[in-house]
Amino acid sequence: MANGSLTAAAIVSFTEELENRSSTFYGELAERWPENRETFSAFAEAGEKHKTWVVRTYQETISDALEASYAFEGMNLADYVVETALAEDVGYADALKMALALEEKACEFYLEVARRSESLLATIPMAFKRVAKKRNKRQVKLQSLLDARP
Amino acid sequence: MTMLEEPIKEPLHLRNYIDGEWVESEGERKGVVNPATGKAIATVPISTEGEINEAVEAAQEAYPDWRRTPPLARVRCLFRMKQLLEEHFEEVSRIQTMEHGKTIDESRGETRRGIEMVEVATGIPSLMMGYNLEDIATGMDEYLIRQPLGVFGIIGPFNFPFMVPLWFAPFAVATGNCIVLKPSSEDPISQVKIAELAEEAGIPPGVWNIVHGGRTVVSGMLDNPDIKGMCFVGSTPVGRDVIYKRCGETGKRVIAMCGAKNFALVMPDADLERTIAACMTSFYGNTGQRCLANANLVIVGEGLSEQEYDAFYEQVVDAFVSAAKKIRMGYGLDDTVHMGPIRDEKKKQNVLNYIEKGIAAGATLTLDGRQFELVNDLPDTCFIGPTVFEDVTLDMAIAREEIFGPVANMMRARNLAEAIDMIHDVPFGNAASIFTQNGKWAREFQYNVECGNIGINTGIAAPMAFFPFSGMKDSFFGTLHGQGREAIRFFTESKVVIQRWF
Repeated sequence: MANGSLTAAAIVSFTEELENRSSTFYGELAERWPENRETFSAFAEAGEKHKTWVVRTYQETISDALEASYAFEGMNLADYVVETALAEDVGYADALKMALALEEKACEFYLEVARRSESLLATIPMAFKRVAKKRNKRQVKLQSLLDARP
Repeated sequence: MTMLEEPIKEPLHLRNYIDGEWVESEGERKGVVNPATGKAIATVPISTEGEINEAVEAAQEAYPDWRRTPPLARVRCLFRMKQLLEEHFEEVSRIQTMEHGKTIDESRGETRRGIEMVEVATGIPSLMMGYNLEDIATGMDEYLIRQPLGVFGIIGPFNFPFMVPLWFAPFAVATGNCIVLKPSSEDPISQVKIAELAEEAGIPPGVWNIVHGGRTVVSGMLDNPDIKGMCFVGSTPVGRDVIYKRCGETGKRVIAMCGAKNFALVMPDADLERTIAACMTSFYGNTGQRCLANANLVIVGEGLSEQEYDAFYEQVVDAFVSAAKKIRMGYGLDDTVHMGPIRDEKKKQNVLNYIEKGIAAGATLTLDGRQFELVNDLPDTCFIGPTVFEDVTLDMAIAREEIFGPVANMMRARNLAEAIDMIHDVPFGNAASIFTQNGKWAREFQYNVECGNIGINTGIAAPMAFFPFSGMKDSFFGTLHGQGREAIRFFTESKVVIQRWF
């Protein structure tokens, strides 16, 4: 089987999965650690917004003239999948470390797809960059929570 | 990998849409098959002469009221239609993949292009304005007004079943005309969906009609004196010898957009990585079934020694073939697939015949598309892989005739002038592209090439909705083109008023 470039459609599907997984993960964090419910709930809710940014930009930009199937040569989506299932007995610090790992990978993914699709997919890379920026900010917040724990 | 859900679960029973009603046809029915899976997804009627005449009559009856409807009120219908198309974006895209075979990225791209036509047509209150001048003589003023003509016929092709009829329909309707549209009977489902949304958007009965069928419907349109103009997209023999000719005989306006054999030039200074990505989209996008697809890749040795030119040629061809080999083929609803099937078995056979012709003429088959793998468990009935020929010369049929499949010809030209001469040697003039970083070469190309759509560092020179979709030589018959301001002129008559008051 050929192992060519990922399509834009596959990248957008992965984005939706990534944001869904993230939202579920932060929703669970909000339930388990109510002292930071506001932060985790906000992260969980932002997933929908991120999906909307990317999917809307993609749907409003995609055209038959774009190199939508040939921008992501050599990318492997498995490289951006991290564990998001919380074990029953996971501690707060370990959960925060999982969240940081998730954000780091998500950020890497968005920046990489933005870089690769620059000049090939019109305004779609801008949407990826916008989400990367938001998820980068999350890392700062998560690190502060980790540093502030007793 | 995500396999997207099919929006059509059971075969659809399609009907005509005449005077705001979904009506059964008395004609025979034809099956519509998903070319990737081989499954029946609909049956479509081959309508009768009486039915096409009935639709034209309904359109003619609806015309006076629609014409008198203020442009602002007309475009409110189109604003609602645009919104409905957005809401059904994914559904109509997946329908296109099921009925035509194209990949989901290609279908979504087609949907977007179609919606853009509706968006541009909503500007009719401004776009349709005439102009005036006071005091052309003492106390006399003159002004021009644009008026609709009546009923227009639209004949859609199979390769872009959703988008192409929208190159015309929104502009015709927004300017106050009524339409009778015949979708391709091979993939008519997305046009049915559009008509459903037009109805929901409040476009009055009789303004937007759909009549399915074949030659009888086309002849009925051409012969009907109430049809004032025809829009056609299809092959050159039909466009030139039937549509254009008959419209001339019956005094109808005509836009006949026809076949193509497009060239792409790669200059020695081209950004090769981006050029190859653009070429994959251009040569193999829509499985080569596109009038803007490039088919002949000319590697140009301008300014290079013989040795340098040979090395450059090898570099380009190697990169092209290497990328083509990586194309994933399968069902377009699998979002990892780069290329779907040909629309049907007969069309695939036509492509296979051209491959045989190429071999027989002495071209070298560098990549044989007859050998391929599919990423999904599917019948291979309509599939054919990316094909590359080398040693192709202009006297070969594969270099001159429209194949409408994923076949790329590698050709040589020592300099830009020779390459442009090669473009002019074929009878078509739809599109041509050049890949270069050199502005002088790009300008020379743009200035001299006799093609309607020119791409500079882009493989698909597809005009946006607010520009005309041009075409020259055997690729276009008519005067004004579809889309943009030219469409406004096509669908309106210019009336000049000169007035003075005693």
